[in-house]
Amino acid sequence: MPKCTINGQEIEVKPGATIMDAFYQMDQKEKIAHYCYHPALSIAGVCRLCMVEIEGNPRLQIACNTVVTEGMKVNNDSEKVKEAVKWGMDFHLINHPLDCPICDQAGECGLQDQYMAYGKYDPEMAERKVKKRKVVDLGPRVVLDSERCILCSRCVRFTEEVTKTNELGIFNRGDRAEIGTFEDRPLDNNYSVNTVDICPVGALTSKDFRFRQRVWLLKDAETICAGCSTGCNVDVYFNKEGVFRLKPRPNEKVNGHWMCDVGRDTYKPLNRDARLLDARLSEGSKVEYMIPLMGARKAAEWVREAKADPKSVALVLTGQYSNEEYEAIVSTFKADVGSDRIFHWVNNPETFEKFDGLLFRGDRNPNTKGLLQAMQRHGSLNNTWNELVAALESGSVGTLVVAGPLDLSVFPDLGEKLASFAKAKRVVWLSSGRSDVVDACPSPLIQIPMRTHVEKTGTYVNHAGIAQTVHAALAIVPKALTLSEVADVIAGRDVKRGNAPAGVGRRAQNEFTAHRGAL
Amino acid sequence: MFQLSDEGKAFVKKQLARYEQKESAIIPSLYRVQDENGGWVSPEAIDHLSELMDIPASRIQEVMKFYTMFNQRPRGKYHVQVCTTLTCGMLGGRELCSFLMKEHGVKGPGEVSKDGKFSFSHVECLGSCDTAPVMQINREPYHESLTEEKALKILKELK
Repeated sequence: MPKCTINGQEIEVKPGATIMDAFYQMDQKEKIAHYCYHPALSIAGVCRLCMVEIEGNPRLQIACNTVVTEGMKVNNDSEKVKEAVKWGMDFHLINHPLDCPICDQAGECGLQDQYMAYGKYDPEMAERKVKKRKVVDLGPRVVLDSERCILCSRCVRFTEEVTKTNELGIFNRGDRAEIGTFEDRPLDNNYSVNTVDICPVGALTSKDFRFRQRVWLLKDAETICAGCSTGCNVDVYFNKEGVFRLKPRPNEKVNGHWMCDVGRDTYKPLNRDARLLDARLSEGSKVEYMIPLMGARKAAEWVREAKADPKSVALVLTGQYSNEEYEAIVSTFKADVGSDRIFHWVNNPETFEKFDGLLFRGDRNPNTKGLLQAMQRHGSLNNTWNELVAALESGSVGTLVVAGPLDLSVFPDLGEKLASFAKAKRVVWLSSGRSDVVDACPSPLIQIPMRTHVEKTGTYVNHAGIAQTVHAALAIVPKALTLSEVADVIAGRDVKRGNAPAGVGRRAQNEFTAHRGAL
Repeated sequence: MFQLSDEGKAFVKKQLARYEQKESAIIPSLYRVQDENGGWVSPEAIDHLSELMDIPASRIQEVMKFYTMFNQRPRGKYHVQVCTTLTCGMLGGRELCSFLMKEHGVKGPGEVSKDGKFSFSHVECLGSCDTAPVMQINREPYHESLTEEKALKILKELK
């Protein structure tokens, strides 16, 4: 285990570790400028900004590609290093348009951050900048601005090493070199937006996010992606208008540094325009709206009325809720309602087991494992879907409680299943999303708006059995309930509305969090 | 749709076997493609090569666009490359090229004459400075110590 001294601080690193690794190990990656180095990609050594001075070595070396040796004394705060980085920066800026005021990356741009620290502010270049392609459509999700590109090659290495799809390349040479795809074929793999995340400048921007918000007007909080059973760790970016994007947060055990494009879209059903805002009671042609808690009381009434024959109350659960909620609702059904008719709705049985080899899984629920564990604990695992269908067909189900999807789009069988549920005398539909299909259900139905995973604290178990607890980040529909609260109402207990987010999240307290740094 | 001839395919396979890294076979293979495709490398040809060599098309195009000896656009039957680096430049290489282009009704480097016979380009040092100015036609031996009349005569004699 070689020991070295970095900026006067002694540190022991793994054999073969580079000086850059040591900076990362000390959690000081912000202290060293680097654009081409990325911990999850191969070393390119092309940006030449991570210059360090090594004692006894007459020339500066790049930290990303220099292996630490025993007793090495390294610094990157000497005048010599600062001077080198300053000039390196100026070379990067020779053909960079410096259009920060209209650039989407501004506020989280590596170049901008480093310019604040090392910029020359008075460029000595008299030559004109080389004009390159702007607003290049790189496929369904990514836009390229070639002039802003500093040719760090992170995105090229990403498509080469991570997705192995090899769409991107660096074409031409010298000051005309630019990134692009072969014959402008689209960059349309399911991980394409990761190239936007790793782009240290504003060359690659996300079609979905660009020009929608300035990043310093957004707060962020840690959560997970609920798009499939991988449970990628993500940061959710939001303000009072709603959620704007998700970005992956590194976690070697779960998602590495990446997330898929399908997962990035899962913020859309969280926002108000896709949400169920009030409880909606429909009986025949009569439609009535009420606050969610009143809706839950009405639902509890229906459950109580059917309780005379506990067999006539059934509960359908989807893998979209947290462990705590499953425990609350299942135990309430067992103990307070006295029914063991609890069923698991598998939304896409054909693709359930699929896996793309990287992150994306066919099971489009964040917590199927947690649900199965809860059902096993309460001995309901053996109930088959066919039993429910048979009971519905025979008309023996009085009240059916469905803890339905939080994201309706991942339930392609929604209409088909609803037609089957409508055979129950009364249906309680718990969901966060608003849907015309559900609204059109012919039998008496009450829809109760539920909180999404970013609005409540809960634990989710991913496909590999890793339990991850996420905290409430924001309240989009503050009146919405959790499954635990619905369970409390059904059982006749007091509802503790203690689940409201207390402004948690790393930087959620700051209204303006400029200078975020994307490195 | 461009396809290499059987000999061409065999040549590429041989190149692939020759090098430790198969990327090393890209340049000789591109030369072969260029020769068989009338002097330029078309996107279809890269696709074909990519399939043949099992190397992503973007990697091959990176190489093709980096080196100037691969033509990215169709060229004339005779591709006239006039050296414009130092010695040739001082002895009128640039003017010579402009003169030849004007004589053949071609506006600039890369454009093909109307009869499809000639295209012109400036090239960097051909390494024959003692006999400047120099030009090369296709991949034939050099024409040296040129004057405008001499160069025009050479081109006129080409069928």
